[in-house]
Amino acid sequence: MSGEIAYAIDHSPAYASLKLSLRPEQTVTVEAGAMAAMDSCIDMKSKMKGGLGKGLGRMFGGESLFTSEFTAKGGAGDIYVSPGVPGDIKHYALDGSRNLMVQSSGFVAAGQGVTIDSKFQGFKGFFSGESLFLLKVTGQGDFWFSSFGAIVEIPIDGSYVVDTGYIVAFEDTLDYRVEVLNGLSFKNLKTSIFGGEGLVTHFSGTGKLWIQTRNVYSLVNFIHPFRPVKND
Amino acid sequence: MKLELLHQPDSAIAKVHMDPQEELQAEAGAMVAMSSDINVSTTLRKGKGGGVLGGLKRMVAGESLFISVFRSGNSAAELYIAPKLMGDILPYTLSGTELVIQSTSYLASTPGVQVDLGFTGFKSFLSGESVFWLTANGSGLVILNAFGSIYEIDVDGDYVVDTGHIVAFERTLDYDITKVNKSWAGAFFSGEGFVCQFRGRGKVFCQTHNPGAFGRKIGGKLPPR
Repeated sequence: MSGEIAYAIDHSPAYASLKLSLRPEQTVTVEAGAMAAMDSCIDMKSKMKGGLGKGLGRMFGGESLFTSEFTAKGGAGDIYVSPGVPGDIKHYALDGSRNLMVQSSGFVAAGQGVTIDSKFQGFKGFFSGESLFLLKVTGQGDFWFSSFGAIVEIPIDGSYVVDTGYIVAFEDTLDYRVEVLNGLSFKNLKTSIFGGEGLVTHFSGTGKLWIQTRNVYSLVNFIHPFRPVKND
Repeated sequence: MKLELLHQPDSAIAKVHMDPQEELQAEAGAMVAMSSDINVSTTLRKGKGGGVLGGLKRMVAGESLFISVFRSGNSAAELYIAPKLMGDILPYTLSGTELVIQSTSYLASTPGVQVDLGFTGFKSFLSGESVFWLTANGSGLVILNAFGSIYEIDVDGDYVVDTGHIVAFERTLDYDITKVNKSWAGAFFSGEGFVCQFRGRGKVFCQTHNPGAFGRKIGGKLPPR
């Protein structure tokens, strides 16, 4: 049966691209639209993984409703996968002992023994534009996630504070809560249009956390003042 | 305090290893992650332009004058800080010298460094770019960031740098803001609006890309706000 998928991550950390080498009849689930190139023996099927309810959940999580399944038919084949945003890709092997929480736009690809579920994190992070929607990844097998900018791994033993917009993934052995860190905001003055109000996630326990070195909202905030102004 | 730079040049991030009871000030919003026992406070820095009003004016111009101060507790701590745009980080050690910094290039500094806002040397600036300048003096570390990679020019004599490409320069240099072209129309159409003419001896740190040019290119294609 299908075991581990052979892979290579090239052009890290700024322009990472994932190359998966499938054995005959091996299947991989990929973020819809992320396939860049592949051998012609590979068959693609659009999937609403986990049924309609879960698919919708994923849509609210900022993740596309559909994932795609790629299967090598009648021979081995390679497939190149590229996330929409330039950045880094990391591999995580699920062995069933612990689950992975992944920021909703961070899904790249997963093996067949892996289940992806979106989890609503409440309204706290919602209005800031930095919606902390997380995918809960369970099961056994390969999982790949992506970032904007490079990925830095932080082993946590105790507690740690992270700007919510920089979270990529973390092991669910960690406890977390979203809060406002008053020291990071100034008399509630909004310093940016999207995000940036000092929302942080407080982690505690033991486990691994992955952060990204850039935040898409910072780029959006930088570009915003350069938009033409309506004259009416 | 020990500084570790990761993922240079395009996705650079600084990991700061702090000893107990150490302090670092950084541009507000630069914090990515940190040990939970670090104490943070954010204040509005008053420039020479004067107080809150001057500050607000500058903020409207697309600038944030908010500075966060990070202080470690009774144990060692770590702090990650990163620039907003893609690009590199450059540590610069001040030892009684003075550095002029393009405001968006300032990332952080140690307590022995005084950072003054509203450097008035470039008052004759007519460009539409919402750029202002900081002066850093004293002793300690200044952490700079750039849009793209950073290169260093050792000026001995005369040198010309486009203002949008300046990250920082040593104050031992004399400077003048001029047009690269004799005629105003020429300056406008060449795209090389304003340049800084340096004279003397000292270092100029430049960034490979101009954030204003990037912003205009993308922003101009977006629907009006």
